[in-house]
Amino acid sequence: MIKKAETTQTINLTIDGRKVTVPAGTTIWDAAKELGIKIPGLCHDPRLRPVGVCRMCVVDVGERVLAAACIREAADGMNVHTNSEKVERCRKTLIELLLSDYATESLREQKTGDDLLLALARDYGIERSEIDLPTGDGRPQDLSSPVIDVDHSACILCDRCIRACDEVQHNNVIGRTGKGYGSRISFDFNVPMGSSTCVACGECAALCPTGALTDKKLMVPIQPREQLDSVQSVCPYCGVGCAITYHVDRDANAVVFAEGRESPASDSRLCVKGRYGFDYAKHPQRLTVPLIRRDDFYPKGPLSAAVKGERRKKPGGLVDYDEVMPAFREATWEEALDLAAGRLKEIKQKDGPSALAGFGSAKCSNEEAYLFQKLVRAVFGTNNVDHCTRLCHASSVAALLETIGSGAVTNVFADVRNADVAVVTGSNTTENHPVAATFIKDAAADGTTLIVIDSRETGIARHAHHFLQIEAGSDVALYNAMMYVLIEEDLVDHDYIRDFTEGFDGLRELVKKYTPEMAQDICGIPADRIREVARVFGRAGSALVFWGMGISQHTTGTDNSRCLISLVLLTGNVGRPGTGLHPLRGQNNVQGASDAGLIPMVYPDYQKVASPESQKKFEKAWGVSLDPNPGLTVVEIINGALVGSIKGMYMMGENPFLSDPNGNKVRKALANLEFLCVQDIFLTETAEFADVILPATSFFEKFGTYTNSDRRVQVGQKTMEPPGQARVDWELVCEIATRMGYPMSYKSADEIFAEFTSLAPSYSGLDYENLKPAGKLWPCPDPATSDGVQLLFGDGFPTESGRGKFVPVDYQPAAELPDEEYPFILNTGRLLEHWHTGTMTRRSKALDAIEPEATCQMNPEDLTELGVDPDGYVKLSTRRGTITLRARATPGVSRGNVFVPFHFREASANILTNDVLDPFGKIPEFKFCAVRVEKAGPPA
Amino acid sequence: MGLIGELYRLQEERGYLRADDLAVLAERLRVPLYRVEEVVSFYTHFRTAPPPKTEVAICRDLSCHLLECRDYCSRVRELLGGDGDVDVHEVSCLGRCEFAPAALVNDVPVGRVSPEELAYYARAPERLPPARSVHTRRWRIDYCGETGQKYSVYESYRERGRDAAPEIIETLKTADLRGMGGAGFPTGLKWDLVSKEAATPKYVICNADESEPGAFKDRVIHEELPHLVIEGMCLAALVTGAKQGYVYVRNEYEPERRAMQLALEDARARGVLGEHFDIEIFVSPGGYILGEETALLEALEDRRGEPRNKPPYPGQKGLRGQPTVINNVETLALVPTILKNGADWWKAQGIRGHSGLKFIGASGHVENPGVFEIRLGTTVAELIERAGGVKDGKALKAFAPGGASSNFLPAEAVETEIGFETIAKAGSMLGAAALVVMAEGTDMIETATNVTRFFRNESCGKCVPCRTGTEKVVAMLESILAGNGDGALRDILPTLEETLAETSICGLGQVALGPVTSALKYWGDELDAYLAKSQDR
Repeated sequence: MIKKAETTQTINLTIDGRKVTVPAGTTIWDAAKELGIKIPGLCHDPRLRPVGVCRMCVVDVGERVLAAACIREAADGMNVHTNSEKVERCRKTLIELLLSDYATESLREQKTGDDLLLALARDYGIERSEIDLPTGDGRPQDLSSPVIDVDHSACILCDRCIRACDEVQHNNVIGRTGKGYGSRISFDFNVPMGSSTCVACGECAALCPTGALTDKKLMVPIQPREQLDSVQSVCPYCGVGCAITYHVDRDANAVVFAEGRESPASDSRLCVKGRYGFDYAKHPQRLTVPLIRRDDFYPKGPLSAAVKGERRKKPGGLVDYDEVMPAFREATWEEALDLAAGRLKEIKQKDGPSALAGFGSAKCSNEEAYLFQKLVRAVFGTNNVDHCTRLCHASSVAALLETIGSGAVTNVFADVRNADVAVVTGSNTTENHPVAATFIKDAAADGTTLIVIDSRETGIARHAHHFLQIEAGSDVALYNAMMYVLIEEDLVDHDYIRDFTEGFDGLRELVKKYTPEMAQDICGIPADRIREVARVFGRAGSALVFWGMGISQHTTGTDNSRCLISLVLLTGNVGRPGTGLHPLRGQNNVQGASDAGLIPMVYPDYQKVASPESQKKFEKAWGVSLDPNPGLTVVEIINGALVGSIKGMYMMGENPFLSDPNGNKVRKALANLEFLCVQDIFLTETAEFADVILPATSFFEKFGTYTNSDRRVQVGQKTMEPPGQARVDWELVCEIATRMGYPMSYKSADEIFAEFTSLAPSYSGLDYENLKPAGKLWPCPDPATSDGVQLLFGDGFPTESGRGKFVPVDYQPAAELPDEEYPFILNTGRLLEHWHTGTMTRRSKALDAIEPEATCQMNPEDLTELGVDPDGYVKLSTRRGTITLRARATPGVSRGNVFVPFHFREASANILTNDVLDPFGKIPEFKFCAVRVEKAGPPA
Repeated sequence: MGLIGELYRLQEERGYLRADDLAVLAERLRVPLYRVEEVVSFYTHFRTAPPPKTEVAICRDLSCHLLECRDYCSRVRELLGGDGDVDVHEVSCLGRCEFAPAALVNDVPVGRVSPEELAYYARAPERLPPARSVHTRRWRIDYCGETGQKYSVYESYRERGRDAAPEIIETLKTADLRGMGGAGFPTGLKWDLVSKEAATPKYVICNADESEPGAFKDRVIHEELPHLVIEGMCLAALVTGAKQGYVYVRNEYEPERRAMQLALEDARARGVLGEHFDIEIFVSPGGYILGEETALLEALEDRRGEPRNKPPYPGQKGLRGQPTVINNVETLALVPTILKNGADWWKAQGIRGHSGLKFIGASGHVENPGVFEIRLGTTVAELIERAGGVKDGKALKAFAPGGASSNFLPAEAVETEIGFETIAKAGSMLGAAALVVMAEGTDMIETATNVTRFFRNESCGKCVPCRTGTEKVVAMLESILAGNGDGALRDILPTLEETLAETSICGLGQVALGPVTSALKYWGDELDAYLAKSQDR
């Protein structure tokens, strides 16, 4: 595998009479930049491969004709003139030629006010009215995309959008159609953008220099940058943690548009959610006043038809406020907080601390997560605190802590560029971590061999050199067989095993029976293919393994992760560039919330609750005595509520009614709680069961730090003012604590951060100042000079023995297998455009417009067999419940499988899922249960 | 098979390219949909609608324009009036300028027939006469003659392998053989550079995409002397170490492609081609621009034929980024003879101080258009004489010595000796060696418009100056011809011409406005006449 070679040769040239020395391979453009000489250009952008088509950057190099500086390499002795009379005359003519065909009104000039062609025309003093050229026929507009306006009459065919789509995001939608003067940019087979395979990442519009591709207005009209405040922050959605500049209209108190900004985690790229999904914060349904349940709505139960399990009059959509709001009355903050704190205190006194529990959220900041777990531990007096990490990577973390002593990634995702081989398994990366996927796609296009293993053929599989579409839930068999091949063919790293691992003999013994021939019957991959792929992996000089929920959300989730860890240890792929273990974290702050101790068995920074030493440390820090027993996990808490052992709950930003398995059971459990306080930005399905609802702030209305999947701690800046009386989450936690008799007061979020970092060695040394602008990776021993430690465990592991441990595991089938009554396999997950329970994304204009309706994905042949149209309705039933929704014929889903996204309350996937748990990570088996599929009519 | 090959196959099989078939193809080849669209929409050969029963394609470019192809086409349309089974359309130069107005009926060349005859064949394509059997003329460069042993030059070097390279290169350098495709780059130097490149594999490509209006000499060589072309490619492979060669031929040269195919089979049977070096024919899906060597490479790589920025040149990074020799048909065909007879012999073939021989097509207003193998140094007047003189005994008005992209020269320049430098000195270029003759009475503004329109039609659209500049000038010229013009063109043309020449990526844009500029230079009064008419209205 040959990656780009570094060059040491240098070139000496003269530009506009000044001498400059540059490395061989430098373009004239870049060499001029070294001298501070700016050469005009339209088609060139430093983020893109130069193509030299606009010709605006031509310079005189003393040859027969002028040369395009952006693409011409500097040569020794070259004498370049960047602004001779001839050069300027040609540039002026080129501008006139483009302007003669240009749209009368540039949408970019009208919106962001930064049309590069018009700016260039101004620089050259060109008046459009004075151009003596015939004007071109107006070319049409295409307004079919929900997020981007296409104006062909403002397109100069600079190719930037094509490269943005193809080479930056690897979405491969935009090209050119036609030839010559008639050529145009086009989408797929020259269809309207809105009906193309465009995933609306907006990279094309971000890089377009003219009015051809511009963002549509979302909330307030788009205005020129200089009229707006720009706030450097991050994205509120996934664990990639893209760096974003929000352009804010202070008068309207709203984000006008979002732009990617430079960061090692995202390289200025964004996906549809990050770029167009910020408007939820301004949705009219935001909670603005504290609410208290009216007396006549007791005993408690669900309020809306959908949550009751009834069909609503109109299908789809959000919580119907008209239906739900009458159950609540507005209250003052004093009254609501007194009530919440009073009731929680009362339960604590009556039934003991362990009758209380709290769910924090991975959407909240590190500061809020830290404070929330402190509230539950120090004030409630219990360790019954958990959050949605339990539902995503709990099993991965269990396996990682067990084997290598650390639950975080050992390397950042962008380092895939240095990997010979990358494995992506159980991860729909292109939809769930779209920007991380761009790095993987980049690498795959640039020499990294990509192996994708999944039961579904997802977007990333299309970029794979080897795609293994395995039977759902058969992971352990496949990985054991791969290890069998590695050991049999001696493709293991003996030195690494000897120096850095333990338990190899046990592993070797166990995998002996997993011949590829034996495994092929379980995982459905022919033995030869297993051998081939094992060899590719075994022979790699460096290999990086990514995984997602397809690995973790099984009763064998921990086993699945153990196998991946063993594969990596076996081949010594840790601690070097291009190697490592990377469980792609889901929420924007699931890493940070876990780091901050929002987990029942560990204090901040994974210091064990069960360890008397840690207990003592935190008792001292917090000045109270702490419960020495680890608390209950998410599903255990819900079970506790159902049986009455959990009586009071405080939920900060979680919506278990939609996110937890076996929804009907969750409904009963929530109704059974004596007291429930929900703190959120919208009235969620879960809030229907609340006694008190506290209106909180969205991501955009507060300061805080967020830790991404790479362990990168970044600062989220306050972008706008909260609506109505809504208050910052951490303040509310302080209010409850204080009212419960434990005074908490902080002046600001960074004060909380300082307290947290003083107790969490991994975060030691980080503060708000040194985290700007692009954050730091933890650990970061020297924040003044370093970006933090990218590669962990090059010389052993933080385990007792200092070694990584092989934990051999046998294949076990899923808990509930298909049978005659329920013959299909149900798999659940996410869609690109939506986030978890949809509370944010379904209130985002663009995201909702793209994916407005619940659908399930099935193999076209299965649909035909069932007599269902490719987009007809189906009824899905499991032993736990039934939903009806539209089917979407999806060849990438294997026969016998059904995939249901869990964002949609009107057809909630978690009504169907099985709440059986992985014994180690306590994660439910979201990815596998038996389901019956029947043809259905549209919901009444 | 690559994308373009698959598209040929699909169109052959289904008659045209349907969106659902293309979607299946994209899925099978694992290429994005847009890549298929880019290619299908770029190349004239591909169609996305069902073909008519009979398709009549009539050339609209320079040589045919001079022979009133527009009236001819209208007449044919009139004769076929309302026949829904026949589609008559105008196409870019077919490379059969000696048969002007040239036409194809269902891709079969029909030329120099009356409109009535053409209409007859269009209604009954099965009656089309079988492709004429080639009467191979005696060409001086064909050292094999009627008795000579084909491929003997190659065989004489072959056993020495690449040790023979320095000698071959030296001979070509001494002979001062220059590329006959238009650019005139020294062949020996090109082979030498590729020979010295370390990267492998290397490729040898014969550029048989002759598409310049007025040019058809390569077609004749391709058909009549394919063994010399093959031998030239074998020698290039021997020198450079290439194992694979391609003949890139335009799709309108189907009979000629067949001749090459037969010659390749013969060469394989003789063992001249084989594992050590073999040649594949790649049929261009259409477009003048593909004759530009890097556009040609893009097509071979299954992309739109858009020229690359240079450097790097194909000799360093050509096909699939590898060192590649690309030579014109004639250049390759000349090599064996030069090696056989020596550089001195070659030089002695020229007259008046010029060296070598030259194939040149003569068309337009001449009595006997055709391809002539002349001694370099022959004057234009002498060549016109060989072509039977100016048509209908008229006086000469103008000529383009190198096809549509060469500047027009007035009759006064008729004594110019035909040679790279002498023609350049006269203000034009030898280019594709396509003498197009214009008799008195020719409307030079109309002719210049015709030529500019050709470049507008054939511009790939990649770079701004060529894509928009050619269109603007055509629009202005058309206004002038329609009597709506103003003087703006005269003011603005020099700047536009300079901008296109200086900033276009490839030769097409660089020369596109040369001819119209030359027309205004010599026949500005004709422009004035049009403008005066415009003012009268």
